[in-house]
Amino acid sequence: MRHTHTLYFNICCLLLVCLLPFLQGCSEKEPQQEHTVVLQDDLGRKLRLPAQPKRVMAFSPAMTEMLFAICDTATIVARTPNCDYPEGVKTKPVVNNYPVDYEQVLALKPDIVFTSEGITPLDVAAQLQELGVAVYYQKYRTVEDVFSGMEAIGRITGRERQAKHLADSLRLQVKEIAQRHTQNQPPQRILAITWTDPIYVYGQNTLLTDKLHLLGAENAVQELFDQPYPALTREYILKLNPDVLLGGSPEKLEQTFFSLYPELRKINAYQNRRIYAPTGNLLERPGPRVVESILELERFLYP
Amino acid sequence: MSKLLYFIVALLLLLAVLLLGLQVGSFESDLSTIAEAFLNYNPDNTTHYAIVHLRLPRLLLALVVGASLAFCGYLMQAMVNNGLADPYLLGTASGASLGAVIVFFGFVDVVVAGIYMPPVFALLGAFIVTLVVVILGYRKRQLIPAQLLLAGIAISSLVTAIVGLLTFLSDSEGKLKSVIFWSMGSFERASWELLPYPTVALLLALGLFVFLQKQLNILLLGQERAQALGVQVAHTRWAILATVSVVTGFAVATSGPIGFVGLIVPHVTRGLMGTTGKTNLLFCAFIGGLFMLLCDLLSRIIYPPAGLPIGIITSFFGVPFFVYLLSRKNYKFSS
Repeated sequence: MRHTHTLYFNICCLLLVCLLPFLQGCSEKEPQQEHTVVLQDDLGRKLRLPAQPKRVMAFSPAMTEMLFAICDTATIVARTPNCDYPEGVKTKPVVNNYPVDYEQVLALKPDIVFTSEGITPLDVAAQLQELGVAVYYQKYRTVEDVFSGMEAIGRITGRERQAKHLADSLRLQVKEIAQRHTQNQPPQRILAITWTDPIYVYGQNTLLTDKLHLLGAENAVQELFDQPYPALTREYILKLNPDVLLGGSPEKLEQTFFSLYPELRKINAYQNRRIYAPTGNLLERPGPRVVESILELERFLYP
Repeated sequence: MSKLLYFIVALLLLLAVLLLGLQVGSFESDLSTIAEAFLNYNPDNTTHYAIVHLRLPRLLLALVVGASLAFCGYLMQAMVNNGLADPYLLGTASGASLGAVIVFFGFVDVVVAGIYMPPVFALLGAFIVTLVVVILGYRKRQLIPAQLLLAGIAISSLVTAIVGLLTFLSDSEGKLKSVIFWSMGSFERASWELLPYPTVALLLALGLFVFLQKQLNILLLGQERAQALGVQVAHTRWAILATVSVVTGFAVATSGPIGFVGLIVPHVTRGLMGTTGKTNLLFCAFIGGLFMLLCDLLSRIIYPPAGLPIGIITSFFGVPFFVYLLSRKNYKFSS
């Protein structure tokens, strides 16, 4: 008798264990939810989202530019306060991305939020995923990373063909530019500053390094720092002695940089008046306008 | 150990740290390069230039600012007769921060008539906030130390809140970096042009208080006993107040609000030299300068090239020593 009871109990348990996955599947699947996919982003994070996301947005201005270049603009549900390109972006509702306005994000119900390394803290992304919003990170070290990032966005949003077309045409333009600078002259050494007090510069592990490399030049900062934009001292910059300084017009930097650090008037870039003001939005944004940025740098380096 | 020996040891240490400090930087340089830079200076040699125009003023600024903060801390502790006092008690640090933040956030042009505005506004901010605190701490035609302390804490909190609000509303990451960098202190902007302001303020103040050292020690006995001994308490307090606000103001304006030195070094001084030593003030300033110099050097060695913010180093290395000092049985704040 006792033995039969145990047998029944065991069979019940076995049945339950077998059914469990199906039961779980039922509870997970909301009635209106469609087919979902699991993706891995550039940081190796796993995320689940609808196979065909209908509502997308980005937390970085560069990625908003990418979305506008690749997606159906009707699917883009919002922009951040810093997104100002292309013109059409201004019709979209503004969502605060730092600090993130969770309620507004939820109200807009995006299927996926695109962001890049360093723009959105990981805990914020985790919190959003808890709330059911997938967050997809990209990271870029090279210009090619930007293009493959565009293709990834195309794959995710079901616009693979448009994304590939865009990326390939940009690749072609970059190739043509690079071919103009294969001469064997010693490379010009460029220092690009992002802030003057304290002095922050574009480090080796930023996209600028690759852009300069394509132009036959190099980032004057060769040392690899922990931060992408390290703080430097006057003495360090004196030692770098860059040929070209990027960060503002000569008049502006005379006022805000060289008057504050008169010692730096000794550097080659100052002596030879090779000081230029790149368009901030072009230099800083790894997006579809990356080629425009390279062309602008080319005009500075080879006037 | 005799007091003279302490002075000699501190002096030797100072020389050693100065020599070491002159060697640390982006350009390779040993003792012979340094000797050459001073004895046979070549303006076209960038290493010579870096040693004479970047490294030396930086070391001297660290020395002067450290000495200023320690000296003012000693005066404040004597004035309010309380070991918790520091030079920022009058709201100098928060006032200076507000002044600098006003410039960093674009309410005022960064450069006006060729003059870099953050230190100027930091100095103004420090003076205005100190004045408000002093007015609040003044009652029945005399300064009430306890009231001054409370006014200082309250006004500092208010000003810090305003700085916090401005920082929160900031629209650019760069501006935030400036504020954060500034609020933790740095000697990176040191130059021969900047150095004279805090140095002259400190030297004049040291000269004044070498004469007032006796009154200062009597103040430690408390107001009534000091008055009974013939000290004009009110006059001494005013002299301290004016000195601390000017000297701290210049120190903070040039290097940012660096913490702990003004609190700890006076205690170290009393621990080593006794509560009422005749040379306490000088020794305190000396040790403050040496300590700051050492902290700056460490910050640059640990985290080249820019160096860790100096305020972090002063706390990390200052506090353990302070705890050790407090745990010593024979240490007393006043006689």
